Amino acid sequence: MRTIRIAGVGETGPVQQDRRSIPEMVLGAVDLALADAQIGHGEIDSVVTASVDLFDGLTASNIAVTEVVGAVMKPEARIAGDGLAATVHGACQIWAHAYDTVLVVAHAKTSMAANGKLTQWAMDPIHLQPLGVNFSAAAGLQANVLAQHDRHAEKRWARLSCERRAAGTSGMAKKLSQSEILASEITTSPLRNGMCAPLGDGACAVVLQAGSNAGGPVLSGVGHDLEAHGLGDRNLVHWAGLTRAFDRACRVANLPPADARFDLAEPSCFYPHEEELFLRATGIDGGTVISPDGGLMAGCVPVVAGMSRLVAAFKWLRQTGNAGKRALVHGHWGPAGQAQAVAIVDGGL
Amino acid sequence: MRPVAIIGTGQTNHARCRDDVSQPELVREAASRALDDAGLQPADVDAVILSNMELFEGRALPELWVGEGAFANGKPCMKIATGGTSGTSSCIAGFHQAASGLFDIVLVVGFEKHSEGHTQTGMALTDPFWDRAVASGALGNFALSISQYMAERGVSEEQAARVAVKSRRNAARNPHAHLSDANATIEDVLNSRLLAYPIHLMDMCPQSDGAAAIVVASGDKARKLSAKPAWVKAAATRHEQPYIGDIEQRLLTMRTLRDASRSAYATAGITEPLKQLDLAEIYEPVTYAELAWYEILGFCAEGEAGHLIEAGVTGIDGELPVNPSGGVLSANPVGATGVIRVAEAAAQILGRAGAHQIEGAKTALATGYGVYAWADAVILGSAV
Amino acid sequence: MSERVSVPIEMVQSWRYSSGDSMERFSNGIRHKRIEAVKCGNCQRRYLPPRPVCGNCHLSLTEWVPVSDVGTLEAWTVVYLPFLDGRTGELRDGPYGMGLIRLDGSDTTLNHFLNQNDPAKLAVGMRMRIVWRDELHGAMDDILHFEEVS
Ligand SMILES: [Zn+2]
Repeated sequence: MRTIRIAGVGETGPVQQDRRSIPEMVLGAVDLALADAQIGHGEIDSVVTASVDLFDGLTASNIAVTEVVGAVMKPEARIAGDGLAATVHGACQIWAHAYDTVLVVAHAKTSMAANGKLTQWAMDPIHLQPLGVNFSAAAGLQANVLAQHDRHAEKRWARLSCERRAAGTSGMAKKLSQSEILASEITTSPLRNGMCAPLGDGACAVVLQAGSNAGGPVLSGVGHDLEAHGLGDRNLVHWAGLTRAFDRACRVANLPPADARFDLAEPSCFYPHEEELFLRATGIDGGTVISPDGGLMAGCVPVVAGMSRLVAAFKWLRQTGNAGKRALVHGHWGPAGQAQAVAIVDGGL
Repeated sequence: MRPVAIIGTGQTNHARCRDDVSQPELVREAASRALDDAGLQPADVDAVILSNMELFEGRALPELWVGEGAFANGKPCMKIATGGTSGTSSCIAGFHQAASGLFDIVLVVGFEKHSEGHTQTGMALTDPFWDRAVASGALGNFALSISQYMAERGVSEEQAARVAVKSRRNAARNPHAHLSDANATIEDVLNSRLLAYPIHLMDMCPQSDGAAAIVVASGDKARKLSAKPAWVKAAATRHEQPYIGDIEQRLLTMRTLRDASRSAYATAGITEPLKQLDLAEIYEPVTYAELAWYEILGFCAEGEAGHLIEAGVTGIDGELPVNPSGGVLSANPVGATGVIRVAEAAAQILGRAGAHQIEGAKTALATGYGVYAWADAVILGSAV
Repeated sequence: MSERVSVPIEMVQSWRYSSGDSMERFSNGIRHKRIEAVKCGNCQRRYLPPRPVCGNCHLSLTEWVPVSDVGTLEAWTVVYLPFLDGRTGELRDGPYGMGLIRLDGSDTTLNHFLNQNDPAKLAVGMRMRIVWRDELHGAMDDILHFEEVS
């Protein structure tokens, strides 16, 4: 398999509300990524976008971004899911020798509509949607199962949320103390408002290019997975889908899943208990730096979320002293982490 | 692209309303048939790609609920959606994933259950500032561009009606078709209800409930698993500017389909499509579009499409049978429609197209089309 | 055979769409019956609706040019099927005329209603003019429809 270099990244937000139109916002991310990769649009062979029609209120929602991502008279595939899944597909296109340079772009604007109402429409309309179950209710159920025999869970999650919020620089997340978080309004018990990643608007773009690792961080492994939909069909305290996605990504990267070592982990955590599920599913331990920029708790855009973690990992690997290090990137979508995606990024030589 | 092939196909019995099954069950029907056709078990599938127009059923992220129907639980799965080209683009995504070296067997399933949602609502959610106030769905868009096509090329309503007659009669040989009529006549078409001038009911594709699947195998696997795989010779996608008014005379020029097909022809070594292709399964949302695509795809010179259909060149016994399955005019579960094109083309190469089999088919073209003039072109062949 | 069971679910959903800089200027213009297009500095194409980039050249669009309220009918149809208004969910009854009109000064065409719904009285190449609504509020339906220039 040929080497896939991450040639450049760009992101806007996360911000609570981006007043620009979707094309303007996406163009912002694309221009940054192309400038970062020092390439022009003519060098892009293929575009993979990620967006969700119901979130955008637009049928075939990539129609709004076709021009700004530069897909006019070019191949474009659109993944309706997290941008990290779109990245997985972009990598497949390069490994397939279909294209050499692929631009991957994800966007969403949660300021357009109540996201909690929209995610109901992703639930089984026969059994779950009529009960009003959405992604946030599913997360609450999951957290509740975890907290059942763990009376320290809530305090631990409050502390974790507090730390992650404090590390954030986006300005989106209110800095809250552990006690403030524990006193904040219950959203879906046992989760509280202060434990929920603040949702906002944003776009991410990444340029993937066939090349060598001499040029900077490379995408060395990818994996994804879909678990059963029904919450009762799964063991909610284990992200088995993430373990499978992780194992697949390790296999692609030629790493032994059982003792693969990572210097950095960038999990997608909409809630603090998800970080514990992530660690359990991947076997990551104390030697790994986790979400130094606060992760999603510092500002979160669904659809963009996993890809924003890829951008964060890429930027970290480019910092002085981090060359040659290895990062694990994670994204998920669906109720209680039903769909999972993983990317392994190795810093350049 | 590294070599990949289609080794199995499956379709549901498409109909106006399949209230005998849920969406996951509908998908299961096509997925099972495709795996049976390939001689595989669900456990043999390494990755799944779904295709669906989520807003037609009023859904978000439908793969979450429906994926199970495609045996996707515990497997890598993602959903591709690009409007009308969703199905063909999902097949192409399946080719890319099977060629990536990550997966040996990729199952691609497209589905739509129009009867469970409100398609007009989905179609009406266009650009909120520019044309949402005036949008008239795919029908309005097609009708507008047809007026230009008729004015420029002198195509007649009767010539267009011949496309519908061919479609309905071919569909009578296809057990999966939603609409079929072995005795359809030009008069039937011209006497059917006028929807938007000059489009009559029988000129326009229906809305169907249905699903279709293909099994894509990496080169080595395909050789092992199939005596006669349908090899992917070429696949190309072109997207277009977003507004209907951006495009110069869409049916006349259709630069996306022209460029996608030319690129695919070049890769597959096709210089004379009418002679070298044994059949074509093209995405014709309306009769006039099939005529226009004859010209765009290089089956005839500009202005000759009307004569081509009159001479029976594209009939099932003609020199280049176009849509021997009955095409989009006979079955249109949108998220599946593009998959059906590719599945039908593959079934012809595999020699398993049943009563509408084109004897000795070795090279086939499948195309995808979206209302915003997005286009896909896929060429399949019996040799790598 | 037992009775089929189905679950009815009603969807009521609203969104707030940001128009963006160029569409904002356009909207403020039509409030005063002023139509402006953006022009690509490379290919010279004048775009309606205005937008951030020229998709053909991938260059930012910053130059504005005036566009007339008179243009040429490039394509037309008469829709007989009732159609849904995507803003309100209300049905619009047929038959109604629709056209693609290339306003003088623009290279793209505008998709809008015609005040004519008799196919015999419509032809590609006709000259058409905007009929404005009495109360203008800066949206596309400030244009009521197009009528033939006599
Ligand atoms: Zn230009």
